[in-house]
Amino acid sequence: MSENNAESTPDTHPDDPGAYVQQVMAEIAEEVRLRRASGDLPPKLERELDELFLAHSPIGVRGGSLSEALRMVDAATFIDPVVPVDSERAAGAVVKKGMRSMLLWYVGWLTHQMSQSASAVSRALHIVDDRLKELERQVDSQRVSDSAVVEFPTSVGTGAWWVEPALAALAKAPGRVLHAACGDGWLVRRIADSGVDAYGIDPRTPIVDIAELDALDLRGESVPEHLRAVAAAGLGGIVLSGTVEGMAGGERNELLAVVGTRLAPGGTLVIHSVGRQAWEAADAPYGADLAPGRPLRPDTWCRLLEEDGYVASAQDGPDGSDYLITAVRAGLTPYEHDAR
Amino acid sequence: MSAAAGGPVAVHQFLPALNPHDATGTHTLKLREVLRQAGWRSEIFAEAIHDDLAAEALKHWMYPEHAADGDVAVYQFTTSSAVAPYLAEHGLPLILDFHNFTSPELFAGWEPGNVTRAAQARQDLALLAPEAKLGLARSAFSERALRRAGCRRTAVVPVLADYGRVTATPDPRVAAELAARRAEGGADILFVGRVVPSKAQHELVKALWTYRRLYDPNARLHLVGGTSSYEYNRSLLGFVDDLGLAGAVRITGEVSDAALAAYFAEANVFLSLSVHEGFGVPLVEAMTAGVPIVARDAGAVGQTVGHAALLLEAGDPAYVAAALHRVCTDGVVRRTLVAEGHRRAAELRSDVVGRQFVDAIAEVVGRP
Repeated sequence: MSENNAESTPDTHPDDPGAYVQQVMAEIAEEVRLRRASGDLPPKLERELDELFLAHSPIGVRGGSLSEALRMVDAATFIDPVVPVDSERAAGAVVKKGMRSMLLWYVGWLTHQMSQSASAVSRALHIVDDRLKELERQVDSQRVSDSAVVEFPTSVGTGAWWVEPALAALAKAPGRVLHAACGDGWLVRRIADSGVDAYGIDPRTPIVDIAELDALDLRGESVPEHLRAVAAAGLGGIVLSGTVEGMAGGERNELLAVVGTRLAPGGTLVIHSVGRQAWEAADAPYGADLAPGRPLRPDTWCRLLEEDGYVASAQDGPDGSDYLITAVRAGLTPYEHDAR
Repeated sequence: MSAAAGGPVAVHQFLPALNPHDATGTHTLKLREVLRQAGWRSEIFAEAIHDDLAAEALKHWMYPEHAADGDVAVYQFTTSSAVAPYLAEHGLPLILDFHNFTSPELFAGWEPGNVTRAAQARQDLALLAPEAKLGLARSAFSERALRRAGCRRTAVVPVLADYGRVTATPDPRVAAELAARRAEGGADILFVGRVVPSKAQHELVKALWTYRRLYDPNARLHLVGGTSSYEYNRSLLGFVDDLGLAGAVRITGEVSDAALAAYFAEANVFLSLSVHEGFGVPLVEAMTAGVPIVARDAGAVGQTVGHAALLLEAGDPAYVAAALHRVCTDGVVRRTLVAEGHRRAAELRSDVVGRQFVDAIAEVVGRP
């Protein structure tokens, strides 16, 4: 046993080892603080150690690219048939060299085929890599800005004309009502005050974070992702405002499909949107210019929803710049709806 | 199974693999003796059996030839295995003896095969835990995992191990080599465990580099244990070389019990920066051998060592180096940790733990 470990239990053994160890840890923390303050341990040192280890790690650990992985595949593709013959013993090297000479024709035949096979796989992977890069380039060139919410200031707030008709449509909602995009919760609060259980989501997380929540249930989440996480037929009503304007056609279709399965039979869908006049106005929000889609006419919404099993009606706003769609879901369960 | 009828006649053990010099293998063999001494018939059935232990166990699919009414199965849960669905299918009254397993996330990026196995282990646990009459965990940390998986009745019983091997006569050749290096000065830092990402040997190397830079330029690190992660082992070797520590870090691979005793005998401090430990047999071995411990407080480490270690919240090399320095230079700290280690190790002796196993099993299935 080493000298250090041979020592017997001391007379100075503390009465409370737990407290003593805690005290030692506090002293160690102070020692580290002093070391750092003295410049003995610059912060970059540990980062450099981490980077050095990562340099030896597999690509999966480093979060590297497919191209980098392929470079490593290429480097390992050639399999050398000439095995090393070094040995700690002089005779060992001679024996190994003799064996290598005798077996080289056979080992060479095997490794040649293995190298060819690996090269073929590598070539195929390079083609996949090239195609992926080209696809990424094309997608990037067509990418449009993400305008998750396009909100017209005159359409927001409890004084907006469409709030009362929306509340009336939701009065008999057979379950909880969701408002998206809820902003600071102004409509959720109003719906709750009318005696209907409501909550809100909004992808603009900072707005939700600074909202005065009171007893409101507001969440900073994407609308489609949230709806996908809701149970089938789990909602009595859904209000969409500022949500559909910025969507491309495909996104809107996906949203309607998931709304159809999350609304309970007899549930109410309320959509507030704007006409093209508002869209083209000089004071339209900047998101209107960036959005990939364009606003639908009220009749188009009604047609889409009726095709999807709703009883829908449209109501124009007082100045004709916006409108309200209310639609009640037919009494089909989501599963029956899917079967149709 | 019927406790009212006088309890089971046989409590058999099942496990994925029975290997020598392996914590689970040792535990299984010792538990068989404990069960037999308590009066139960007990055999071992495994999916894989090492040649050296061929006489000690049977393949799990041979169980029906030995089955009898009232049999109880104890499953040594260590990893994914065909034994898990086999037990689920046969519907034997089941006791899960849970050793925990490394989360698949900890292998991510290193070994795809290990990720798959770990994910399958998680599924095996979800399959068996709700059906188990009792779940026995090595630590409160592992007990929580059992509960989360749906096990309704659980207890904490430590592992049965042969801790005495670390105080046996050291291998003279290894002891002489270590003594020669010690004569050059510098502390000997020891870690024992498989070379895998979850044991974080690269963080031990970082700590050694920092410790040498700040406190002890001659310090050495001994990493004892085989590997099941070729990629991690290769990265570790490259890292050691790049830091210029090839002469200061010894990666031994698997060693004999006598060689292990030599490493413990010469160690100034046992350092563990594992990020996942379901129990930590080498920690108890260090306490048994009288080696003070510095460790990251991960998984069950804190529960295993009690006050016998300087426990760190993270693997920050500056803290690790300062803790190593304190243990290596402060006699009171070292003696306190060693004394606490002996006290804690006594609580984990096999005779003590064996009685806990018998009591826990008998409480559920009845006395033999």
